[in-house]
Amino acid sequence: MNIGGEQVDASWFLLLSAVLFALGAVGVLVRRNPLVILISIELMLNAANLALVAFSRQLLNLEGQLFALMSMTVAAAEAVVGLAILVDIFRVRDVEDIDDLSELRG
Amino acid sequence: MNAPLLALLVLVFPAAGAALLAGRGWRLPRIFTVIVGPGVVWLSFLATIALFFDKTNADFTYWTWIKSGSFDVPFGLLIDNLSIFMCFVITGVGGLIVTYSVGYMEHEDDPSYARFFCYMDVFVFSMLLLVLADNFIFLIVGWAMVGLSSYLLIGFWYQRHSAVVAARKAFVMNVVGDVGMILGTFVLFVSFHSVTYDRVFRSLQSCRADLGLLCPVPAADTGSLEVAAFLLLVGAIAKSAQIPLHTWLPDAMEGPTPVSALIHAATMVTAGVYLVGRMHPIYDIAVYAHAAVAIIGAVTALFAATIAIVQTDIKRVLAYSTMSQIGYMFLAVGIGAYAAGFFHLLAHAFFKALLFMAAGNVIHAMHDEQDMRKYGGLWKDMRPTAITFLVGSLSLVGVIPFVGFFSKEQVLGLAFSKPDDNMVHVLWAVGFATALITGFYTGRMWWLTFWGKPAPNRAVEHPHAPRLVMMIPVAILAILSTVGGVVQTRAIGVGPAAVDGFLNSAVGRVPWEGGGAEIAVTFVTMLLAAGLFVWALYSRPWSAYAPWAQRLVEHKYYFDEAYDWAFVRPLDRVAAFGLRGIEQPVIDAAVIDTGLVARAGAASLSLTQSGYFRNYVLVFVGGALVAAVIVLVRANS
Amino acid sequence: MAIAVFFVAAILAVLGGIGVVAFHQPIRSVLSLVVVMLSLSVIFLLLSAQFVFAVQIIVYAGAVMVLFLFVIALLGPARELGRGRLRFQGWLSGLFVLVLLGLMWSLLQGVQYRQPEKADLSFFGTVQSIAAGLFTTYLYPFELTSILLLVAAIGAIYLSRKRVDDL
Repeated sequence: MNIGGEQVDASWFLLLSAVLFALGAVGVLVRRNPLVILISIELMLNAANLALVAFSRQLLNLEGQLFALMSMTVAAAEAVVGLAILVDIFRVRDVEDIDDLSELRG
Repeated sequence: MNAPLLALLVLVFPAAGAALLAGRGWRLPRIFTVIVGPGVVWLSFLATIALFFDKTNADFTYWTWIKSGSFDVPFGLLIDNLSIFMCFVITGVGGLIVTYSVGYMEHEDDPSYARFFCYMDVFVFSMLLLVLADNFIFLIVGWAMVGLSSYLLIGFWYQRHSAVVAARKAFVMNVVGDVGMILGTFVLFVSFHSVTYDRVFRSLQSCRADLGLLCPVPAADTGSLEVAAFLLLVGAIAKSAQIPLHTWLPDAMEGPTPVSALIHAATMVTAGVYLVGRMHPIYDIAVYAHAAVAIIGAVTALFAATIAIVQTDIKRVLAYSTMSQIGYMFLAVGIGAYAAGFFHLLAHAFFKALLFMAAGNVIHAMHDEQDMRKYGGLWKDMRPTAITFLVGSLSLVGVIPFVGFFSKEQVLGLAFSKPDDNMVHVLWAVGFATALITGFYTGRMWWLTFWGKPAPNRAVEHPHAPRLVMMIPVAILAILSTVGGVVQTRAIGVGPAAVDGFLNSAVGRVPWEGGGAEIAVTFVTMLLAAGLFVWALYSRPWSAYAPWAQRLVEHKYYFDEAYDWAFVRPLDRVAAFGLRGIEQPVIDAAVIDTGLVARAGAASLSLTQSGYFRNYVLVFVGGALVAAVIVLVRANS
Repeated sequence: MAIAVFFVAAILAVLGGIGVVAFHQPIRSVLSLVVVMLSLSVIFLLLSAQFVFAVQIIVYAGAVMVLFLFVIALLGPARELGRGRLRFQGWLSGLFVLVLLGLMWSLLQGVQYRQPEKADLSFFGTVQSIAAGLFTTYLYPFELTSILLLVAAIGAIYLSRKRVDDL
């Protein structure tokens, strides 16, 4: 595709998307603060949006961008609800470590 | 009312009664049970009367139960004079006994009361099915159900350990007989490819070797017929408590007295006699089995009579007496005098039921005491019962003019006068001795209970007279025992032979005539037996003579001990091995271990549910990786 | 020139991503994510997605991240301490993520991008073209997302209401 007069292909953008996605995955897996986990999930979603828009430009199909818009909406809704739940849990006790919330076991 | 419907109604009434009592009877007031219980039996009796006057003689098939190749089992009822005769005995005497038990069982609580009459109705139904069936399969169905009813009724007071044990013993021995019946049916089916009486007997008719007719079963193959006859005889022996399958009958006295009267005197134990009579075409050809019937009957008669001498429980005397009298019936049908055997069956039903019910009156009045040594002198306090008991006793001994004389002496007379058959004459001698002993033990029984002074440890000082509902059936049977002899007076050589005539179409006539010797011997027997009866009333204790004989007889010739050693103990060991060696390690282990394995598996799997969010996410990612690898491999290949 | 812009934005995005994962204080993680989002919006602009660029800044960086900031302010900044209970989590996570990256890289290797016909780039990605799509072909998803947002709002209000009697 032609960006600013130069020919590039989508693989750069996709590589960036992959790296951001992997970073987000690491965050979800390793961090123990529930807020940071939610933030990492947002990071992963953004990486996916990037991939969508990159393909949309490559194939000149608007559906990619529309899907990215929907994805943003859903991400917003999910963040809202997730945070509301977190606030509710924090009312009972201060959760610093998500490993403390492990009663559903067995 | 057409005949097929009537025949079906004879069966349906008691079945409906049983079903009603089982379903609702124990919730409704007692009057319901009182009406339904005996009522349905009387309704069956009325249906039988209707069939009698209709002079029906046909084989009705209602529907086909099983049809598989040549194995065709219809549900059908055979109405001929023999069936009607047996139905009269079952419903008539049965009706009187069930009515009597309305009073006898009055002390039971309502659910048990209904349960008793339900079981009695089941029994009446089963016995009617047995005699009315027109094929071997339903005969066996009725046969087995009668055994079941017997078990249920012997063990009626199931809280009593001795009753439960006795019921089990009766049932097991009956099952031995059932096996014989079934195997006999198999043999017959293999030979004749049918299980209906009609087809089997017709095939046999053309088999009379002496007539030299063509025969589907070659004469040399009477062997299989003999085998079948012996196997069927096993069933008859078990049901009728003949040697060697007799040990259950005395124990069966654990049941209530009406049960003893109905099942173990008047009807169920006579099923064996009915069987030989119904199968007479088979037994006419299978002469060895036929002879065995007579021999077993005569031996049992003598054997049982000797044991009855030393019994102290009034019901046991009557039980052994029953065994002995059925031996007479077996002797009669065993020598070919079928009608005489059935006449004795009828007479025995009358006087034995009478004796049991009168004994029941005594037991009821003495507050369930059955030991005769604690009776004595009841002539003063229970005059009507004593008189009826005397009538029954004299009938049992065979004194003129009571019906027992005409029936028993006819049997003995026929045995005496059968031409050219020395074995039967020996059997006659056995029967003769038995008659004398019968006189003796009957007299002893009547003396101990009613005569003399009251025993020092008599259970009840002033026994009350029985209720009317318990006295009337007894009285009716006493009258029947007195006048019943008029229908067949062949024993004295003159007069009507109604039973012979009635049963002729079903079982044929006795082919020989008695003559004067027969009559003379009859009277001699009667006089000697009556004499011993009177002697027993006045003689002193007799146990001082031959103590070893006394002990042998008191232990019933050690049959129970022999069976215990030969069968019960080895089977116990096998069962114990089965439990510890097979059931527990193999089957129980398989089932329980399956559960344990499932639980262990679940326990190990539940370790994955650690409760840690991060573990779960790790598994997500791992799964996504696996899926991605698969997609990659697929895309590249 | 465009390439240079792309590289600058990309490096900023990666640094921001590392910051999200690495900072111990959650407030710093949130701010790193804002950096990531702004960089991404620049890249969107490079990719002719004007409307998406605007929405990314207004909605994502402007609303969602502000919400996160509010929540952190409400709940108090907590620091993660210690090593945590799951011993192998770190190693396994690193392994998995490296495998994931390797997979994605190998997936990218064999892709051959087709060249579409010349299209009207002046119209592609503009507000008008997005609107034309949203209100005609993709009307149903559009309406459904509005319902989704309504549900989320109600859910959030309900979940975070002040409880008096029970929890």
